[in-house]
Amino acid sequence: MNAAAPKTVYAVSLAAAIALTLGLVAFETAAQADAGIFDSSPFTTTDGRSIYEHICRGCHMADGGGAVGAGHYPALANNTTLKARDYMVITVLMGRRNMPAFGAKHAIGFGGPPLVLNDAQIAAVVNYVRSNFGNHYTDAISAEDVARLDPGSS
Amino acid sequence: MTDESAGSVSRRRLLTMIGQTAGATAMYQAMHSLGFAAETTFKGPARIGTAPKGASVLVLGAGIAGMVAAYELRNAGYQVQVLEYNGRAGGRNWTLRGGDTYTELGGATQECRFDTGLYINPGPWRLPYHHRGMLSYCKRLGVALEPFVQINYNAYLHSQKAFGGKPQRLRAVKADYTGHVAELLAKATHARALDAEVTREDQERLLDSLKFWGALDRSGRWVKGPESSDRRGYDKDPGGGLSARPVFSEPVALGDVLKSGLWAPLAFGDSYDMQTTMFQPVGGMGMVGQAFARELGPSIRYNAKVIEIQQDERGVSATFEDRAAGNRRETVKAAWCVCTIPLSILGQIPMNVGAPMTAAIASVPYCTGLKVGLQFKRRFWEEDEQIYGGITYTDLPIGQISYPSSRFFSEGKGVLLGAYIWDQGNAMDCSSMPPAERVAKALEYGSQIHPQYRQEFDNGVAVAWHRVPSALGCFGLWTDEGRAKHYDNLCAFDGRIVLAGEHASYLPAWQEGAVTSAHDAIERLHQRAASAGASA
Repeated sequence: MNAAAPKTVYAVSLAAAIALTLGLVAFETAAQADAGIFDSSPFTTTDGRSIYEHICRGCHMADGGGAVGAGHYPALANNTTLKARDYMVITVLMGRRNMPAFGAKHAIGFGGPPLVLNDAQIAAVVNYVRSNFGNHYTDAISAEDVARLDPGSS
Repeated sequence: MTDESAGSVSRRRLLTMIGQTAGATAMYQAMHSLGFAAETTFKGPARIGTAPKGASVLVLGAGIAGMVAAYELRNAGYQVQVLEYNGRAGGRNWTLRGGDTYTELGGATQECRFDTGLYINPGPWRLPYHHRGMLSYCKRLGVALEPFVQINYNAYLHSQKAFGGKPQRLRAVKADYTGHVAELLAKATHARALDAEVTREDQERLLDSLKFWGALDRSGRWVKGPESSDRRGYDKDPGGGLSARPVFSEPVALGDVLKSGLWAPLAFGDSYDMQTTMFQPVGGMGMVGQAFARELGPSIRYNAKVIEIQQDERGVSATFEDRAAGNRRETVKAAWCVCTIPLSILGQIPMNVGAPMTAAIASVPYCTGLKVGLQFKRRFWEEDEQIYGGITYTDLPIGQISYPSSRFFSEGKGVLLGAYIWDQGNAMDCSSMPPAERVAKALEYGSQIHPQYRQEFDNGVAVAWHRVPSALGCFGLWTDEGRAKHYDNLCAFDGRIVLAGEHASYLPAWQEGAVTSAHDAIERLHQRAASAGASA
């Protein structure tokens, strides 16, 4: 906001840049699975919990409970909408209202590259949310399923 | 990963490609050259005449756009009522001072423990000299302005990967970059490499100008000596008496300057909206919102959470919950409505407008931004490093450190901006942390530039814009495609409702966008009201 400053962006997220170029490379050590973007580590993790905690938690909160102010962030906990697996995948891929898109074809950055999640990462975080926070959906989704919903996404 | 059809690359796509190959800075520069940073359309005070008798307007949101609209409409004779979610006016125009408490979404409460007179602006913090709308309101409302230091030659440019991670003074990087480029161009001219581009006569002039511009020596070289030290600084400054003799400094080699990447932030102060002179309100940006609030007095109803907006052929009604009275519901009505609620929130409020405006509201995601304010026991950046205002740019996740542009040389504590994060991934990750952890991270990274951090830290606050209850995001993140499809529909009247705010402008994130969109909206409103006559 500031005004301003969008333009003063200099720090390129190394992590985001590497995530973009490495895309599907999912080699990782246990340490990397916990590495956050803010730690300047390559954010290549395909651990759903780690992705949730470093990205989604900012709005949907640690307990998946969402939040209410002048507007609200929907609770993911005990959310029956999540039964529609593809709906959730498409929301993450393409964004919805003020929620940004995370798919390579849809993400928008400002003054720098956007944060992009590849198909494997999107599958991982969707599966994590749909099987935690009081959700017990067992029809896990694969990276290939994500790709089918948005061909050429990563 | 690419989807554009051959031969037609959209502007946004082009920007993204530039961003991916050349990094954020190149994209940032490209954004400017492609016209993203447009000039204000402010043309002076709002040109509306006298309100039709009894005409009324409901203004939703007491941010800059809402209060500008309310102020001008009231002055024109309209009956104006403003509904505001927060218990204060200003919206994103906001200053956190000692004694303030702030509760973010998720419930974490921070108490700002800055000393008297010290503050941080979590949102907008500077005003370009050509944002005449904002500046004129400051003048009209008696908000004192002082210079905002954008470029400080003695602040640092820092890369973890260059010069062993040691911060470099902007002055030296700029001088070395310019000096080397000037020398190269001079050599190319002498080698007749520019014969096809520049006449012989102009080549002489070019050589003179390069010597002057790049501070080259008599032989046209950028080398250690009086000329170069006059730009990049000395190892020992000239003085008086027996110890007077200066010691010249050694320029950094061209390859090292280029490899460092530190040339990238050099151009920031050259962009139109960062050019000197910039201003800030004395005492914090929030002084503007406070001044408007004083003007509007009881016209603003605070703690009012709008939950529904309905219109018919006679007027507009808004239902709200009074947060100060157990969420008791009330409905207010007026002939017209200027709605400045951020799209991040408006999209969730039932409102009977047509499909075009509804689609436009739903089309804009919100940028993730975050600021951390840090109070230190003394102004070590001034005392130890002679940095007076300005900004240090770094490739660390904190993005930048900005030093206060006021109260120079004062004793006691000082507050600086310890992180200002735009990078989307970093901003999201940092927003996901509890506030205390954000502050701890800003300290950890910042101490790589200022080791005094560890010794001198006192307290801090961190504001993540996606956690701000009245905003749910930083500002509207438009794309070219989105603008082409939705922007006009967002700004056009729908019945008796018109939207205003930075989201309804081509100056994203800037308060000037809020001012100019408000003026545009109320001028159109007045035309409609005037033609409808007293029945409006």
